[in-house]
Amino acid sequence: MAEQAAPAWKRVLEESGDQVIFLKGFFRNMFRGGFEWSEFVRQCYEIGYKSFTLVGTTAFIMGLVLALQLRPTLVDFGAESMLPRTLAVSIVREIGPVITAIICAGKIGSGIGAELGSMKVTEQIDAMDISGANPMQYLVVTRILATTLMVPLLTLLGDVLGLIGGFLATNISGNVSATLYFNKCIASIGFVDFVPAFIKTIFFGFVIGFIGCYKGYNSNRGTESVGLSANSAVVAASLWIFVIDAIVVQISNILLY
Amino acid sequence: MKAAKHTATEEKPAQKKGGVIIHIKGLKKSFGEKDVLKNINLDVHKGENVVVLGRSGSGKSVTIQCIVGQTYPDEGELTVFDEDVASLTERQLREMRTRIGFLFQGAALYDSMTVRENMEFPLTRVLKLKDRAEIDRRVEEMLDNVGLLDAIDKMPSDLSGGMRKRAGLARTLIVQPEIMLYDEPTTGLDPATSREISKLILDMQKKYKTTSLIITHDMDCARITSDRVVIMHEGEYIAEGTFDELKNANDDLICSFF
Repeated sequence: MAEQAAPAWKRVLEESGDQVIFLKGFFRNMFRGGFEWSEFVRQCYEIGYKSFTLVGTTAFIMGLVLALQLRPTLVDFGAESMLPRTLAVSIVREIGPVITAIICAGKIGSGIGAELGSMKVTEQIDAMDISGANPMQYLVVTRILATTLMVPLLTLLGDVLGLIGGFLATNISGNVSATLYFNKCIASIGFVDFVPAFIKTIFFGFVIGFIGCYKGYNSNRGTESVGLSANSAVVAASLWIFVIDAIVVQISNILLY
Repeated sequence: MKAAKHTATEEKPAQKKGGVIIHIKGLKKSFGEKDVLKNINLDVHKGENVVVLGRSGSGKSVTIQCIVGQTYPDEGELTVFDEDVASLTERQLREMRTRIGFLFQGAALYDSMTVRENMEFPLTRVLKLKDRAEIDRRVEEMLDNVGLLDAIDKMPSDLSGGMRKRAGLARTLIVQPEIMLYDEPTTGLDPATSREISKLILDMQKKYKTTSLIITHDMDCARITSDRVVIMHEGEYIAEGTFDELKNANDDLICSFF
């Protein structure tokens, strides 16, 4: 049994080492001259703008459903007026960032993993490397920075649309004006709600880009590995999102409360 | 079975072309238990076209991967432009690679870019050209050379196999490398297109005066492009000479390649 377990541990350790080397390569190439601005902007468009519809729709429905689920319980306790506050805090602090990050891990992480995996398999990355160009700088740095920038922005938009969804649900069975609803929402969100939540979305974005690039860039030869890269990018990024979430929440609880 | 070394001629006309630009001596490389390269010795002289013939899995591709520093040999000497490839730093290796062109088996065109963008990529990233007019001039001239000017704004997925190879060749030659390495340049093409690509390789070599190392198992390609042919078998070079000399050699193993 011990003999069977050893190679798995060895693989985990080897992969961890490879990820550290890849991370070092990312930072080294990020601060090297000749930043690929045009590719970075293109990636921001591909990652941010093209994910907006999916993230926005999901966030809107999530806010709507959350409000519909919360309302009967709050009515039982005579606390219906707490609905905007409860919605705002839960969406801004936790549900918005995590749901947006999970959607982005599925859409963006798998996309990056598959794209770079397919470039690796068809020797495009090798061609770039052998020509004397720098594939880390062109392909990896731009994608990781784009996800690090766009996931927080998508989360902000998702938060707003989630609250709009909540407003719609509140008005299905009640009658609250938009001014009152949004005033209550904004008044209930403080520095301790918004800032830690925003900071963790930056880490979520980084992890989604980093894992996607790492898995794709290190695809083994063969078309099967393209699918595996995409799949493992989603699985690993999703896992890391929950780990980072738990760590950031714990740290912010210690520092801010 | 190991064939006797066939040194076809004492004097190899092709070697008169210039000094040694690629020097390989006693090169060995293993992957796990498998010895892929066993004592490879080869000198490529400036301006000559050397074809390496061999069956699949004989270690041909590993040899050129070692030349560009994509993989490192376990033992032996390997110098390119008089520099030991294994001892180069990352920056030095990148600089050396700008002087070498590598045409991949599948052409390796960047499939998210048009043909024009594929051509521009090495000009802006490797040669660091900024002048738009100069970039356009070079792209159009090179595509015209390979007969692909009409396909300038097409995506690689819209090109046929032969057109992809020509585009790949153009992208590699656009930075005017001193050495060209070809990995199975005619694989997967019909005989007519293979001959067309082989003639194009020869024309481009004459026009840009490159030194070429061509890995192939296509006899037509070897006949058209070679100044000198080296035969590789199970990780070793077993014979070298001109195409006709090897073709007429009195050795069963060598004859089996033709």
